[in-house]
Amino acid sequence: MNRTLSAVTLALLLCATLFAQGVFDKSPVEIAPVGKVQVKAGVSKDVNLDFRIGSEYHINSNKPNSPLLIPTVLKLNPETPLVVGDVKYPAGQDMSFPFTGNDKLNVYSGDFSIAAFLKAPANAKPGTYPVKGELRFQACDHSACFPPRTIPVQFDIIVVK
Amino acid sequence: MKRNGLVFVALTIAILAMLAGGKYLDRARKHGPIKLVGKVQGLAAPDFTLVSLDGNKVKLSDYRGKAVLLNFWATWCPPCKVEMPWFEDLQKQYAKDGLVVLGVAMDDSKPDTIAKYASELGVNYPVLLGTDKVSDDYGDVQYLPTTFYIGRDGNIVDKMTGLLDRKDVEDAVRKALATAYKPVTAQQQNQAQVEQKAGAENTNR
Repeated sequence: MNRTLSAVTLALLLCATLFAQGVFDKSPVEIAPVGKVQVKAGVSKDVNLDFRIGSEYHINSNKPNSPLLIPTVLKLNPETPLVVGDVKYPAGQDMSFPFTGNDKLNVYSGDFSIAAFLKAPANAKPGTYPVKGELRFQACDHSACFPPRTIPVQFDIIVVK
Repeated sequence: MKRNGLVFVALTIAILAMLAGGKYLDRARKHGPIKLVGKVQGLAAPDFTLVSLDGNKVKLSDYRGKAVLLNFWATWCPPCKVEMPWFEDLQKQYAKDGLVVLGVAMDDSKPDTIAKYASELGVNYPVLLGTDKVSDDYGDVQYLPTTFYIGRDGNIVDKMTGLLDRKDVEDAVRKALATAYKPVTAQQQNQAQVEQKAGAENTNR
């Protein structure tokens, strides 16, 4: 009986915590965990960030077919002295939907990766440097769209000599 | 021991309720209470005053006696674009019967951009600039397009989210037009004002 009560208590506490953190407001796009990224001082490196779009959704690519559509954009703010160079977006797919008629939208669906070019200057001290940023996107399903939203992007760069 | 367990469960439920309440109150503090949740048919459509693209103030309750098609949309919403010409056609077809179409743009774009977009779709009905408050009042409108069909009495007849068939839209318009409206006479209005005044005086005492 006590075990059951403890289990129920724990489950409720977990639900409360998740609720408070807004975990049930699930984003249509999620980022895969980024492993440890090691960069030598004075060297640049492409960091691949992997994202997964929920199966029922698509999001505009970085270059949608209309200026009114909201592109997917990654912004990164690394800690000094790291520098972000180019961000390489994948090409979108031209796809038709029940609401587009003969027109096509340039979108991402399923899994996609964005490569961010990060540079550690030659004088960078060895250590761990956090990189924080966000991915902005606008998702739709087969009949409706959600407002633009952002998800946090965060990983560490380990600078070595 | 058993009693301790029950206390734990009760405390946890209390924490959960407080968190849920806190979240609700946080929203309510920002925008007022959310008025429309769950089944909305039959509920009074929350009144609002919004600014239209041509700078006029538009108040929903001014259309009492008419059926109102209230469409939430945005320029970044391709499905919304499909419906808007339908609404324009329906406005033309049923205006004589008392239909009013109001678009609410839930957009961060400049009014000029919204106006150009609506004009390219042939929209002539009023387009209003949406606010977070009106979105929250209508149940936190996030999924676009969302359309409310409001009867002549100011009550919601139907709510539709996402792109549906034109026939569904027209059926909902007809349902809204079929509602009855009993205008408030001047005498009833005076009586209501007297009662309201008396109530306020009693409260102040």
